[in-house]
Amino acid sequence: MTSECYATQVLEALSERIGSGLREGRRLEPDLLWLQVDPEQIRPATRTVKEELGARFLITVGIDQRPQGRGYGIVHLFSFDSERLFVALGCAVDESNARIDSITPLIPGAGWAEREFQDMIGVTANGLPDPRRLVLPDDWPEGLHPLRRDFPYNYRPPSVEGVAPPPAEAPEGTSVLPMGPFFPVLEEPASFRLFVEGETVVGCDYRGFYNHRGIEKLGDSVLTYDKIPFIAERICGICGFIHSTCYCQAVEKAVELDVPRRAECIRSLMLELERIHSHLLWLGIAGHILGFDTVLMQTWRIREPVMWLTEMISGNRKTYGMNMVGGVRRDISPEAIPRIIEVVETVAQEIAEVRRAIAGDTTLLARTRGVGTLSEEKAREFCVVGPPARASGVPIDARLDHPYAAYDEFPPRLCTQEEGDTWARLLVRVDELEDSIRLMREIVSGLPEGPILAEVGEIPEGRVGVSAVEAPRGEAIHFVETGGEDRPYRWRVRAPTFPNLQAVPTMVAGQSIADVPITVGSLDPCFSCTERMEVVDLRDGRRKVYRRKELEELARNALGRGKGGRP
Amino acid sequence: MTLRVLGILALCVLNVAVVLLLAPLFEGILRKLKAALHSRIGPPVTQPFLDILKLLGKDELRTAHGVLYAAAPSLSLASVLLLATLVPMGGVPPLGFAGDIVVIVYVAAVSAVLLILTGYASGSPYASVGSSREMMTLLSVEPVVAVALVVGAMKAQTLSAGGILEWNAENGPSLSMILAGVTLFLAVQAQAGKLPFDIPDADQEIMGGPLIEQSGPRLALFKLVLWAKQLLFATLLVELFFPWPRVGLLPVDLLLSLGKVLVVLVLVALVDVVNPRLRIEQAMRYYLGVAFTSLAALAFTVIGM
Repeated sequence: MTSECYATQVLEALSERIGSGLREGRRLEPDLLWLQVDPEQIRPATRTVKEELGARFLITVGIDQRPQGRGYGIVHLFSFDSERLFVALGCAVDESNARIDSITPLIPGAGWAEREFQDMIGVTANGLPDPRRLVLPDDWPEGLHPLRRDFPYNYRPPSVEGVAPPPAEAPEGTSVLPMGPFFPVLEEPASFRLFVEGETVVGCDYRGFYNHRGIEKLGDSVLTYDKIPFIAERICGICGFIHSTCYCQAVEKAVELDVPRRAECIRSLMLELERIHSHLLWLGIAGHILGFDTVLMQTWRIREPVMWLTEMISGNRKTYGMNMVGGVRRDISPEAIPRIIEVVETVAQEIAEVRRAIAGDTTLLARTRGVGTLSEEKAREFCVVGPPARASGVPIDARLDHPYAAYDEFPPRLCTQEEGDTWARLLVRVDELEDSIRLMREIVSGLPEGPILAEVGEIPEGRVGVSAVEAPRGEAIHFVETGGEDRPYRWRVRAPTFPNLQAVPTMVAGQSIADVPITVGSLDPCFSCTERMEVVDLRDGRRKVYRRKELEELARNALGRGKGGRP
Repeated sequence: MTLRVLGILALCVLNVAVVLLLAPLFEGILRKLKAALHSRIGPPVTQPFLDILKLLGKDELRTAHGVLYAAAPSLSLASVLLLATLVPMGGVPPLGFAGDIVVIVYVAAVSAVLLILTGYASGSPYASVGSSREMMTLLSVEPVVAVALVVGAMKAQTLSAGGILEWNAENGPSLSMILAGVTLFLAVQAQAGKLPFDIPDADQEIMGGPLIEQSGPRLALFKLVLWAKQLLFATLLVELFFPWPRVGLLPVDLLLSLGKVLVVLVLVALVDVVNPRLRIEQAMRYYLGVAFTSLAALAFTVIGM
């Protein structure tokens, strides 16, 4: 069914269920249905969309619309995957009574999204099972919500000692084994408190978001449309190109801009290169977590030429700085093509060898089969995305469900498994590696001639764009509402780790301590994506790890400004 | 009489010196080998010596009190050096006597028990988990070692390590002795703390287990103990179960033995490189299988094979 017919069907079903509670319903873009309902109707409307029509929950966007006199906007985003349709189900919450019914009882995977808008916008979700803080630090003052329009982006509340709420109680008869906030196999800070009986884990409690840097806030208060791709790229150190592509596409969709075909192909090419190096990186880390350092060393050796290739194309191993709204800034020269083919063919051969070595390793099988199993039911409940979802038999892939860049012409193969354990997730990633190599070959040979950057005119206010990009870790979602002063009114980022991490307590329950690191690792978690921060920068071939303060200063200097004020 | 005592003392010094000098050197060689298989350059072979020297120069920090906790590293090293004088190296063991294989089994366990106690005492949850894993490993590996030695004792009709060595060198290979040797080899993997059995100190799970709170000179001694143990178990294996050829001249036999020990340790390192870590219950199941194999060796002994 076309997305157009389906949108009409969704509209009919909704108006039948909630009648006049449906305030507005129209297609903003070919693949985006925009619905506004009365705040009281949000739960019945969600039930219709989710349970009757079978939509998949993506994320919630909280928007401060008080300057327009519309209170706070809460927009739940859904996806109808096979119908290629996004649905934005929103409502305007009254300023004087900032409350809304929670949808988490219907969709467990919406828990973090609702906790996040409670923290950031200050709208309370009634009936949220776990209303604790998610994003804000423990010593952040009550009643201060950073994503409200009247909150200055550079305001820092004073820090306070000893206000941390008591952590969740360990169940009777168990002891607590902390994994984090700093732990050898978690490359980034995240804290899992494991409740253990002997070697068996009976439960766990998560606290993260230690490094939230408010990139979304910068996007709607300081940066301009053209600057955001570069900071979006720095959301993640591994899949940066995904976030810059996703942002650019959201803006392009909002203003209905046609991107030159060559630029779309270059984007697809870079995205697949990123998938190849990211999956190789993951394979190495998974080996390392199991103490199998031979896998780590060999896969990272195989990965290295891919990094040299991206350096040749973009000038950087990572953080390519290639995306702009309207296309890309850097072309791929004809001389680069043979080199790309050479690297891809070498990697293809070596991956085949790795696959043979892994498939025959009985100890590896013993450590991954039946470990960290995520059932299809739970995967759907927590709205898990990417390889973890596909390994549990949920057939979703943003490249197929919401085709972008050049994937309409070069569709990927959907790699799924049924078991949902760590071994299945490993197989899915190895299959995807091979498929990415096939895609690379096809894209390189089918690269059209032409311009690479479209002219972007004035960007009108009040337009909305939603874009999905399949990152190596799963689907990334960007939502952009355009605003004045050459910057978005609201820019919302959802990294794939955000939904995936919510499934961790289910996956580790009943496991042995020894299996927890590989279970968490098998999600390929990217805490920095989730927290929207940057850790390491590479410049002039020299490596320097910037501290947060240095980074902030660097960013401010680069913007040609001191603290606050316009440039 | 005095001459005999001096002779024994000289042999003791030789064995202890061999262990203290070669244990880190062999570890260095193994690291180099592992690096080659990882496509890395790796540290120089002298790195373990440098590690030990560096650690010995640091301040001593302790997270728990008590005499035993304070003395554990030195006691542990002492027990391993005592073990060195009980293990034959190129000839009869210097402190060998009529029932020494029983003593070998007990002395070998002392350092492991001290490590377990240190872990529990250090007050870290990771160390507790590591210690309980170490204990489970010890309980599954120790029977394998004991049965292998009993096979030797029954074959040679003696409880002395020197006696078993001489009997085996004279009578040549037999099925039961080879089988017992293989099971002992499988036990060396765990005794040396190598993959897939480095479960008690699993860096990625429990951050080094029993040793997480150890640093400086204490860590140096514990490390030395670990390397010495892998050398000594490999020596015990080649001397008792694969003693051929035997020339009769101590320096030549010693060099031959050390060459074979290096081969054993290289095999251990190769297994280490191609395996991920098992879970503790998987390792225990594996050693149960090995224990049954060693019982088969015992059965072969009884029927004279």
